[in-house]
Amino acid sequence: MRTVLALAGGPLRAARASGGAGARLTPGALAVIAFAVTTAFALSVVGGLRGFEGRAADPTSDVMADLAPTYVTLAWIAVVLLIVPLVSLGAGAARLGVARRDARLSTLRLLGVTGPQTVALTALETAQQGLVGAAIGLAGYGALLPVWTRIPFMGQPFTAGEIWVGVPVLAATLVVVPLVAAVSATVSLRRVVVTPLGVARRTTPPALRWVRVLGVVGAVGAFTVVAKVQLGFEGAVVTVILLGLLGLVLGTINLLGPWTISLLARVMVRRATTPARLLAGRRLLDDPKAAWRVVAGLGLAGFVAGIVSVLPGLAAATGDGDTADRLLAQDLVTGGILTLAIAFAVAAASAGIAQAASVLDRRQEYALQHLAGVPVELFDEVRRRVVVAPLALVAGTSAAVALVVLLPLFGMALVTAPQGLLLLAGCLLGGGLLVVAATETSRPLMRAVLRETDVRPG
Amino acid sequence: MSVPLPPPPPPAAASATAPAAVVPPAAHAAARLSARGLVKTFGTTTALAGVDVDLAAGESLAVMGPSGSGKSTLLHCLAGILPPDAGTIALEGREIGRLSDRERTLLRRERYGFVFQFGQLLPELPAEENVALASMLLGTPRARALDLARQWLAALGLAGMERRRPGELSGGQAQRVAVARALITGPDVVFADEPTGALDQTTGADVMRVLTETTRAAGASLVLVTHDENVASWCSRRIEVRDGRVVGA
Repeated sequence: MRTVLALAGGPLRAARASGGAGARLTPGALAVIAFAVTTAFALSVVGGLRGFEGRAADPTSDVMADLAPTYVTLAWIAVVLLIVPLVSLGAGAARLGVARRDARLSTLRLLGVTGPQTVALTALETAQQGLVGAAIGLAGYGALLPVWTRIPFMGQPFTAGEIWVGVPVLAATLVVVPLVAAVSATVSLRRVVVTPLGVARRTTPPALRWVRVLGVVGAVGAFTVVAKVQLGFEGAVVTVILLGLLGLVLGTINLLGPWTISLLARVMVRRATTPARLLAGRRLLDDPKAAWRVVAGLGLAGFVAGIVSVLPGLAAATGDGDTADRLLAQDLVTGGILTLAIAFAVAAASAGIAQAASVLDRRQEYALQHLAGVPVELFDEVRRRVVVAPLALVAGTSAAVALVVLLPLFGMALVTAPQGLLLLAGCLLGGGLLVVAATETSRPLMRAVLRETDVRPG
Repeated sequence: MSVPLPPPPPPAAASATAPAAVVPPAAHAAARLSARGLVKTFGTTTALAGVDVDLAAGESLAVMGPSGSGKSTLLHCLAGILPPDAGTIALEGREIGRLSDRERTLLRRERYGFVFQFGQLLPELPAEENVALASMLLGTPRARALDLARQWLAALGLAGMERRRPGELSGGQAQRVAVARALITGPDVVFADEPTGALDQTTGADVMRVLTETTRAAGASLVLVTHDENVASWCSRRIEVRDGRVVGA
């Protein structure tokens, strides 16, 4: 353990050690930011759930007493929808830390440091970053509280007290986030431990197999069949089954994503006529899972957007109902859009962090290419294409899948209330622009990297 | 003792099939690249203190010197990577020392080729696309660029390895790909910074043979920075840099 502690460098020490252009935005700092964003939004979501649970337990009006239990269920659905991108962002942060340490850890392995020591070293360093990120995330959660207290639900906004998660949860966060970070980093590090040379080679990765599609087809098919036939179950049972299958469909999107991106990349490579298109296609084909991780949050957001698009139809259908029905319909739209906004924010954070990490990881490659005359505009275009191509594909496809899946539930409401589709298009466009803007934040970092003229690897 | 050399590879055939934009210019009788009174400082450190260098067409020049002597800075200035603080640099009689950053990038892309120690090949591209990319950057259509790249790879002894990625090539093979990439555009001058620094002696000698012979056959000049006498011996001329000055030629 003493060896591990001696080898472990804190995030700040790692930041200083990296030097050069990256000293201003180290992978360690990026990981801390990602942990902070994950923590702030996760606490906000939990706070919202607590708020609804509080209103269900202690309603202040008949309408609230009537609606609150339904809202608790819907809040849980929102938690499930957001948990994937949040966990994905957190895991990405852990991997980010590991990726930059791969070379050093491989060298340590070759020098004789044992596998368990390598794992412990990585877990310790990533847990440090997780702790710092969680602490910053707590502050972020506090800063977001006034924002959430402006949004009305059941006719009145939450008070800060209603969505305050409490000191025990905050304290637990400071333990759980570093722990999850350490576990995620440990899993990511398996290949270094298994083979010390494994991370040093850049070879052709095995192609993703088409059988991934079968899982998605099966989940969507099961959902559609149950929705149509209902299998003779009572209404409540069907709802539970449908929600379960909805979760399954959601999960299989993660299975389908990388495979779809690899297909897109093959088309891009085959049809590329310019260096930028060729490079972008090759980069996506090289690691479609990494590209998917960047846009996975948006894929989910697209799915949510598809759901949101049918809600105005639902609200219109209940327009003649009582106060509770109208409130529920309005709040469904509000909650859907809120979920979507958080998903987009998380996706933008993922994209920005992944792009900055990519620039840092490829700093020597970029610098050498530039010295050989490759213009900076080419790098910018490649960076943009690597994000925008899968972004358009994933957001559009997942929204379409959501519409298809929900058609049996809401049917003609889509046609009778086309404003929902307009809302969908607007959300996707706005979210897409947000993600593109987030990727552009790495432009200054790229310029700083290209100013390096040391042509010999350190 | 020099290694017996096989006949040079057929770059002439490759050049003959090259598009007009990338055909190497005709040989020049006078100095192709000429520097006078080059001065470059970094803070209080003087890296170059008035260097004069001439490089003829087809000539290969080894720049030697200990670490910190200024040899890499000299290469960077001659290659348009760094602008000198004082002095002039002329390529084919045209002053290039005062070009803007954008103009210098264009110069490097169109008129120069580069071979670094390692790491210049893009890891996700197969060998043929790594080579073709340099030509595509000059506007050559992809199919034509790939055809040229395959010719260059075959000429450098890499036939059958066109689809391999850098991680699937040995160090020597990867450097041959880098040489092909540097030459496919028909450059006036190839700059090589410790091109064998990451290779064993035998492989390094093989790469130097390929680099010097192919560069000469393509009509390009070569500026090579090294601290290795064996590597420098492959060049037709050498200069020694110490404390920012040329002290031996």
